[in-house]
Amino acid sequence: MANNSRIEKARQRARAAKVGLGALTALVFGVAFVGAKTHAPGHAKGKATPLGAPASFERAVKKSVLQGGQIAPPAQPPPVSSATS
Amino acid sequence: MSPAAVHRFRAMGCDVAVAGGNPEEVAAVLERWESAFSLFRPESELSRVNRSRARVLAVSPLFSRALEVALDMAAETDGLVDPTLCGRWREVVLSGSLLSRPQGLPLDLNGVVKSLAVDHASATLDGPGFVSVGGDLAVRGPVDVALPGSDAIRVVAGGLATSGTASRGQHLVDPATGRPSESCWEQVTASGATCLYADVAAKTGFLLGERGPEWLDARGIPGRFVGVGGDVVENDAWRGAARTAAACT
Repeated sequence: MANNSRIEKARQRARAAKVGLGALTALVFGVAFVGAKTHAPGHAKGKATPLGAPASFERAVKKSVLQGGQIAPPAQPPPVSSATS
Repeated sequence: MSPAAVHRFRAMGCDVAVAGGNPEEVAAVLERWESAFSLFRPESELSRVNRSRARVLAVSPLFSRALEVALDMAAETDGLVDPTLCGRWREVVLSGSLLSRPQGLPLDLNGVVKSLAVDHASATLDGPGFVSVGGDLAVRGPVDVALPGSDAIRVVAGGLATSGTASRGQHLVDPATGRPSESCWEQVTASGATCLYADVAAKTGFLLGERGPEWLDARGIPGRFVGVGGDVVENDAWRGAARTAAACT
């Protein structure tokens, strides 16, 4: 009888542990799932937000690689011409 | 600079003018570029690349550099100056000396090769002077240059290039349509930090039509536009520079 009682108590502890582990797993999964949905940058439901980079950085990135040359009014008869090529 | 110091000869199918350097050295540089990129020479590297059916090819450092520049310029101009001439430049990938592109997609580097050759040739000048190939010009020191429509400008530094339809007809292809461009401009002249930049800016200004002056102004590039009726439009950058004596001259 005493043995039965000890076994029954052990079974109850095991059941409680299983329920606890299951609940903890479900909770971790749920938190990770919601977190992924709301924070993953590539997720379709995640909103795209600006990087918030400094304006100087954005200006540098957007700056064209093409750069103008230096010109001025002519001072002599031109020795060369620029025409359609 | 004395006009007497100007040497003239033909190369790359154009009139060449050189001052302040060894014309033979300049001719050798231009020949090197033409032998690699001429579509009229079956043995040129570009012709061989275009004949190849391989998707991936090993190319020379010169070819790789020119194509890299061409792809950069395509990105900068939103594909208006496009080495594929058909809007497929994003499908061309260069990794070191390895070129990957869709099978059978031909390349045309004419949009950058002449001006790159001019910049390369101008690096051989041993003093103040200039190299001009078919009107695409790179200078070392101030040079006065005649412009379409009996005007002139002093190029203080960098390059100057003119694009349009005046001498060779409608040879500029609009990649959006794959057909020769029907721009409202006959000739567009632009000033760039290099001949390459000037040439790409002039071509883009031409292809953009009425939006050309604004596009160049947004980048601080002086541009002069001659309309099909002969009317001349200067963008703000050109007007500002051409009316103000340069401080360093």
